[in-house]
Amino acid sequence: MDVLISLSLNGLATGMLIFLLAAGLTLIFGLMDVLNFAHGGLFAWGAYSGIWIYTSTGSFLIGIIGAIIAGMILGIVTERWIIKPVYGNHVQQILITLGLMLVLSEMLKVVWGPNQISATTPDYLSGSWEVGNVIIIKYRAFIIAVGFTVFLLVQFLLKKTKIGLVVRAGVMNKEMVQSLGINIQKVFMFVFMIGAGMAALGGMLLGPYSGVIYADMGMEFAILAFIVVVIGGMGSFSGSVMAAILVGLSGSFMAYYVPDLALAANMLLMAVVLIFRPQGLFGAKG
Amino acid sequence: MTKVFSNNRMNIFYMIVALFLAVLPFVYDSRSTLILLSQVFIFAVLAMSYDILLGYTGIVSFGHAMFFGIGAYTVGVFMKRFEPETSYFLLAVLVTILLTAVVSYIVGLLTLRLKSHFYAMLTMAFAGLFLVLAEKWRTVTYGNDGFTFRVPEFLRDRTDFYLICLASMVIVFILLKRFTNSPLGKVLQAIRENEQRTESLGYSVLQYKVIASVVSGVLAGIAGILYAVSLRFVNTSVFTMDITLDALLMTIIGGVGTLVGAIIGAGIIEFSHHWLTELAKVHWIFERWIIFFGIIYILAVMFFPMGIVGSLQKLKFGRKKKTSAPVKSEAVSQGDS
Amino acid sequence: MSTLLKLDQVETFIGQYHILQGVSFEVPKGEVTVLLGRNGAGKTTTLRTIMGLNQASKGSIQYKGGEIKGLATYSIANQGIGYVPEDQGIFADLTVEENIKVAVKKENDETRQRLDWILNLFPDLKKFWKKPGGLLSGGQKQMLAIARAYVNDNELLLIDEPSKGLAPIVVEKVMESIQQMKEKTTIILVEQNFMMASTIGDSFYIIDDGRTVSNGSMNILRDDEEMRRKYLGIA
Ligand SMILES: Nc1ncnc2c1ncn2[C@@H]1O[C@H](COP(=O)(O)OP(=O)(O)OP(=O)(O)O)[C@@H](O)[C@H]1O
Ligand SMILES: [Mg+2]
Repeated sequence: MDVLISLSLNGLATGMLIFLLAAGLTLIFGLMDVLNFAHGGLFAWGAYSGIWIYTSTGSFLIGIIGAIIAGMILGIVTERWIIKPVYGNHVQQILITLGLMLVLSEMLKVVWGPNQISATTPDYLSGSWEVGNVIIIKYRAFIIAVGFTVFLLVQFLLKKTKIGLVVRAGVMNKEMVQSLGINIQKVFMFVFMIGAGMAALGGMLLGPYSGVIYADMGMEFAILAFIVVVIGGMGSFSGSVMAAILVGLSGSFMAYYVPDLALAANMLLMAVVLIFRPQGLFGAKG
Repeated sequence: MTKVFSNNRMNIFYMIVALFLAVLPFVYDSRSTLILLSQVFIFAVLAMSYDILLGYTGIVSFGHAMFFGIGAYTVGVFMKRFEPETSYFLLAVLVTILLTAVVSYIVGLLTLRLKSHFYAMLTMAFAGLFLVLAEKWRTVTYGNDGFTFRVPEFLRDRTDFYLICLASMVIVFILLKRFTNSPLGKVLQAIRENEQRTESLGYSVLQYKVIASVVSGVLAGIAGILYAVSLRFVNTSVFTMDITLDALLMTIIGGVGTLVGAIIGAGIIEFSHHWLTELAKVHWIFERWIIFFGIIYILAVMFFPMGIVGSLQKLKFGRKKKTSAPVKSEAVSQGDS
Repeated sequence: MSTLLKLDQVETFIGQYHILQGVSFEVPKGEVTVLLGRNGAGKTTTLRTIMGLNQASKGSIQYKGGEIKGLATYSIANQGIGYVPEDQGIFADLTVEENIKVAVKKENDETRQRLDWILNLFPDLKKFWKKPGGLLSGGQKQMLAIARAYVNDNELLLIDEPSKGLAPIVVEKVMESIQQMKEKTTIILVEQNFMMASTIGDSFYIIDDGRTVSNGSMNILRDDEEMRRKYLGIA
């Protein structure tokens, strides 16, 4: 029983990190029809810049804020200068975002060196609670809480604000949105910025969770995020959170019981979904 | 574009270059140069196989390493498990061709119906599966660390091997030239230019794409065999994204849809890799040489989607003939202003 | 009467196809100008070109005396042009309310009045206020699309075949509403239903093969059976 709970919490925490990465991917895809293969790079950049700020200021919170800001700035730059010039051409987009991924990862090594960097948990989030026989690691609970908060915030943004309404409308019909006098380019930029910020936050949170950060973490998590985006349904925000939890949990349980097959199982799931149910397991867009 | 190649002057030029490369080891006996050039030839085969997909059919695969790795592991396992003899080597080549053909056929059939980004993602996932397989199936693959093996007699001499690689490259180049100029190749290019139109002309686009995928997969497998033999060692790195990225960089920088661009790209990347890694002793920034190519690659996709060769051709023939950029092929679906 | 919109020798390519090869017309302020023509003549493309959804490669499009050719769609719309596309462009997953809300630029009294007015005209929309737009009937979608274009203080409405696929009784309803809106705004109406066009329209332009070939006041066309047969295939 304790093992089950512990594994579930573990899976949930990982799921939330994947969600932070996947949510942006799916929103960007839904609205702009762009699959950003560089999204993992934003994740890794969030981790490096956040941890760097955290270690130099000593404040974890400032580190988080710094990571988000760094991610957003990179997101805007990416959207403006890399993706915008090739809007509407899928082949070019795919090629260019993959190239950007390569450059972003290498840039990390240029700025912070090629070796992995250790990341510690701040004191107030270290240790664990004991509830009955179950040990709950504080930092994991923290990740889960942050993940859910972000989910609720974005949900609120999408459902209750004008810009959210515009985003949802844009997912369905971009031309009509523009015909109603809305500058869709600005909306693209906004969504890209939000997505990049979430990815960067995810990367930053991963640091203390895994203890180290390294340049290739972006690619590793990006693959999981792609799986989530496909399973959740490309463009579906609420689908992405469910799929992320599913992938996180399955990863955690598989790693415990059949470690050899953990990643393979998720990839197989994605392949099966893509082939037989390309709209994803969790239905409609939105 | 093809005019340039059926052009006799060009063919003579290619023949001179090939001849020069063939006599090189007998006049200039530098072991390291031979090894480096062998690598160039091997990767040129890989890049040309990628060009068939990207440049000639307009398909973006992020899982090309899968076929390269299958070739590398097949030959490695055969040499290790059985005897390093010619017969087993030939058997390994046969098995590679079979395996890569079957895998590329199945993957292609399942996925080429999908939109381009789905295909890119799915190939990435399939390659990931093979990577996991190579890591976990330790009894055969020895896990992450891989294994060394011995090679048949006829592949042992560096000069002989160099000539074999050169010959492979030349043969693949000639075969692919024929292939792309054949009616079938023309259909592929029509798909690249406008998939819907080709479909409406009555061609089964999926079928043609699968053919391209199989041709490309098998050749990548051959490149993998040569690669493993050149190192006499194989590990999981042959299945990684890096291999696919190499193929992509070479094709894009050299010039998509030209074949010879893939060869030039392979030369540029391999030589730069070699020299810039040397330079890393002078300054560490050269250790990160790949970043330069990443940036060049991005700029190339943005501004010179035809790469070096394509751009040169355009300069020369631009006035006479309207050339179109292969990477720019997909119809503009988003009328944003 | 002043000219609100003026197209002069407009040409448009879609991909490599030369669709509009010379479209010229003038839309007087306060009138309903009807664009007629066979299927595939280029009527929809003309409206899309005005909206900037297709780019004109040649010619000029002047709105209130200023050139709008080459502007982004959103800024053309923001100059006061509302568009009801041929397929209505309803956001299927958004409710009727949200469909209108996306369009609203200023939430002030005037907008509310306009909204009230149009909702009185189309009580169905009020009834299905919280229903997803995708679940509305064809006629209701048309009403929603018209309401959405009307709710802002637009000076010019482009309406593409509002009667398409609707039952005669619904057509009448839509027609009536356009007739009422005519009092307040200038309208360009693409319409195949000659009955409807001739009732509402003040003047007409016939587009054939991507060119404006003939024009005049609606009365002329009403009497000229031969021209109707030649370009519209109707007697
Ligand atoms: N995306 C496109 N690609 C190629 N051709 C197109 C495209 N859109 C429209 N066309 C062509 O442009 C021409 C004009 O189309 P348009 O939709 O403007 O006609 P229309 O007058 O509105 O016809 P209808 O009465 O059927 O609505 C047609 O021949 C059509 O086939
Ligand atoms: Mg039309």
